[in-house]
Amino acid sequence: MTQTELSVAITGAGGAGVISVGELLLQAWAREGGRGLLRKAFGPQIRGGESAALLKLTESERYTAASSYQVLLAFDWNNYSRFGDEIKLAPGCIVFCEEAAEVPAEVMAVKPDLVCLPMKQLAAQAHEEGRVNMLALGLLGQLLGLSEASLSELATQKLAHKPLAYQQAAQACIAAGTGYGLSCDVPVPVPGAKGCWYISGNQAAGLGALEAGIRFVAAYPITPASDVLEWMASPLEQLGGNLVQAEDELAAVNMIIGAAFGGVPAFTATSGPGLALMTESLGLAVASETPITVLNVMRGGPSTGIPTKSEQSDLNIALHGLHGDAPHLVLAPLDIADCVYTSAWAVQLAQQLQTVAIVLSDQFIGQSTAVISEPQRCAALEAAATEDNDYLRYRLTESGISTMATPGDAGLRYTADGLEHNEAGTPSARDDDHQRQLHKREHKLSACSYGDAWARAEGDGELAMVCFGSASAALCEAAELLAEQGVAARTVSLRLLAPLQVERLQAALAGCSSVWVIEQNHGAQLYHYLRGQMDFAMPVHSYARAGPVPLSGAAIVAAMKEATAA
Amino acid sequence: MNEPVKLKAKDYKSAVKPIWCPGCGHFSILNALTKAFAALGIAKDDTVLVSGIGCSSRLPAYVDSYGFHGVHGRGLAIAQGLKVARPDLTVIAMGGDGDGFSIGGNHFIHACRRNVNMTYIAMDNEVYGMTKGQASPTTPADWDHSKLTPHGPGVRPFKPAALALAAGAPWIARGYSGNPNQIAKLIAEAIEHPGFSFVQVLSQCITFCPEQTDWKAIVNEREEAPLVDADEAAQLFLHEDGFQTGVLYNAPRATWPPSPPEPQSQDITRGFCL
Amino acid sequence: MSTQPLADFLAHSVELESEARERYLELAQSMAEHHNREVSEFFSRMAEESRLHLEEVAEIAQEHKLPELKAWEFEWPGEESPEATSYEAVHYRMTLRQAMLLALDNERAAEKFYGSFAKTSDDPETRSLAAQFAAEEASHAAQLVKKLGALPPDSAQQLEEDDDPHMPE
Repeated sequence: MTQTELSVAITGAGGAGVISVGELLLQAWAREGGRGLLRKAFGPQIRGGESAALLKLTESERYTAASSYQVLLAFDWNNYSRFGDEIKLAPGCIVFCEEAAEVPAEVMAVKPDLVCLPMKQLAAQAHEEGRVNMLALGLLGQLLGLSEASLSELATQKLAHKPLAYQQAAQACIAAGTGYGLSCDVPVPVPGAKGCWYISGNQAAGLGALEAGIRFVAAYPITPASDVLEWMASPLEQLGGNLVQAEDELAAVNMIIGAAFGGVPAFTATSGPGLALMTESLGLAVASETPITVLNVMRGGPSTGIPTKSEQSDLNIALHGLHGDAPHLVLAPLDIADCVYTSAWAVQLAQQLQTVAIVLSDQFIGQSTAVISEPQRCAALEAAATEDNDYLRYRLTESGISTMATPGDAGLRYTADGLEHNEAGTPSARDDDHQRQLHKREHKLSACSYGDAWARAEGDGELAMVCFGSASAALCEAAELLAEQGVAARTVSLRLLAPLQVERLQAALAGCSSVWVIEQNHGAQLYHYLRGQMDFAMPVHSYARAGPVPLSGAAIVAAMKEATAA
Repeated sequence: MNEPVKLKAKDYKSAVKPIWCPGCGHFSILNALTKAFAALGIAKDDTVLVSGIGCSSRLPAYVDSYGFHGVHGRGLAIAQGLKVARPDLTVIAMGGDGDGFSIGGNHFIHACRRNVNMTYIAMDNEVYGMTKGQASPTTPADWDHSKLTPHGPGVRPFKPAALALAAGAPWIARGYSGNPNQIAKLIAEAIEHPGFSFVQVLSQCITFCPEQTDWKAIVNEREEAPLVDADEAAQLFLHEDGFQTGVLYNAPRATWPPSPPEPQSQDITRGFCL
Repeated sequence: MSTQPLADFLAHSVELESEARERYLELAQSMAEHHNREVSEFFSRMAEESRLHLEEVAEIAQEHKLPELKAWEFEWPGEESPEATSYEAVHYRMTLRQAMLLALDNERAAEKFYGSFAKTSDDPETRSLAAQFAAEEASHAAQLVKKLGALPPDSAQQLEEDDDPHMPE
């Protein structure tokens, strides 16, 4: 039952084309029906710093980061140590490197199968413009059993805007790599069905938002969310929408509030520092009942923190960061494919409930690219029934949802307001208006029926593990490891964090003897949130480990064992 | 088909009554705005007033159009988002000097630069009224009436017109609350200007700056045609006393966003399929 | 105004009276909002008088095709129509006497405005109507003067107050 996995790390100086090798290799692999994940790791330099393409080729689409690498191809050893804990080499792994270079002691420590080649020379022999990275692509392609034709075609597509000589050099180097007589061999995962998608979590989140009807985006660049906005720009134009590059996050969130007030579904993406700047106006959107969706691609915090690495540490601000009583939606996609679903669901819920939806993605799923089957889509939600004789914008209705007129609607004029207001929208500091409108805004969220999408609950057993968002893959990996050891475990990966579906979660945990809350942050934010929101009939334990190293099933299981032994 | 009923200025007022102090210049601006609407025959349903926070930002509720009373300093951002998403609407943003030049200063600069087709009315009384009369970016350096700055703010005030010009505003006007009919004309022209139009209105605060009644004697209507040359306008805005009224600068340029390209295929997933 | 003096005169008269009325209504409301009931009621009464006068002018104007002037196309002796109370001349603690003095200024300004037409217009009908309107304004002014005489004097410290202004936002 054990599936074959193969993890390949390619390292070198930025600009040497390390990332391109990873992308082309994964694309060629995917064309054959193979599954896999590509992570990218960078030093702090914009250009020329160290960079790494971290590939994990698998037979399933449950993508965790590789815990160790069976293959390493190093263009050079400069600054290799900066990757430290991120690239753990498996004992006896295959290491491709330049013949003349001295291999670092930490690499030699795993007793690698060294393949020392004159890579620069081979590339130069293949073509006068030849580059090492395309030779490397050929070598690794050969190891994976990929054809020269396929690699060459994909490379030519990627280099279409480069000079012809450059493309020819690439082709020649790929051929030299695939044709080189390698004596090493690794077990390769079995390919699945062909016809897959090749997509990053950030692209997937943008796609979900557009498919759910987003036609206005305001953007302020921030790592690691910028590529969501960059990807959206072209398709948005294609769909007749608009993207504005704002002067700051304060403007970005208010621009989407303006567009949404105009009846155009609106969206922005940011990361922790940007979300912090936006929070005042998120309160405005809540109070004025203006539907907006904000994707927060989490990175290491606080402050500037570790912008290029993943963490799940913005849960607190997403849940509790708004001033006043400001009920809103918080959702989290569980994996790259799920970014399409959850992003679309968030947009639809925000529109239906006329509120703010914060979507907590993170750098790990956002900036990783995966091969996935065509992602599941979120079905359109049923439109809320409306009644408006004698129109009142903030009418108190049974559902809490009142009809939102948009400018241009004849005779339904109103002024949206962040000041507390009465049903008509007129500012009011009266106790009764405040109590009623607070209740209205809370009730429309709590009375909504969210269906089965609130979480992905799997497995059976007395042990339960609960997480949110991208921790899901590591959680399932842990459950599998436990199963191998004869321990049945159930997993609950929360997609809807606010409002928390307490009854459903309690039902999912019923009969468990213990619960572990798993998350990638230091403060055990989910653990404390769950403890505050509901009663547990069994002991609850916390496994909270901050980034930048991705969560792994093995580390989770080890922590559980340690706790049990103590 | 029946001729649409021509609305009078008062027909543009809502049922919500202003909380402004009697004697406040903002009444004059409200009146001027509704007079401009009447003169242009503005459609109430297709017009949105957007504001931030402050005395002046209460204005949208007093007009019978669509409105958005946002948070402090961000009215211009809301207004631009709305106008870009809904180019069919007439969008007018307004707010005070603290809202527009202090907390919202960055949005003011970038709105001038971006040149979205909308109007911004800065109702400038040189003071924060809602919070009890603190100095704002346009308050004179020696104004010592606030407990917060008992010796006066001590820093030289902004020159909003100079700032707007430097940031790229193509149309700049100034009015005075003592002359509502002139403000009405300025607002009407501002709305008709194809691009970002900036109207600064000197608006007396009777409660915290009663000395502003002196403005009546200082304000003077500029007789020359609006400047079209940015260098000349810079000279004017840097050296004038700030009390000249009228359309001061008018140099239209291309608005943003440009006309959208023809809609293409609705298939946005093609790039992902291998 | 040379081409159609009467229509122009009537357009100005209608605007003058309706602005006077609108302004009084607005001030009455604003004074009520600020708990100055006495002055609010006075402005309401003035608004009602303006309404009566407006009706009278409007009835005459009905028989003429008036030019459609924009707010800034009217030719007033000052910046606004003469009977519109200046927004900047009022205060929430103003006394009835001060309010009456303002109204008196308005009536006299209107009287002067109409009076100038009565004297200088080339059109006899305009002159006659203007004289009639001026007389009406003068009679309003006389009534106000009489009422003012009956009022007790104001305290010199009327505008002073013990509390600081509020902070609404």
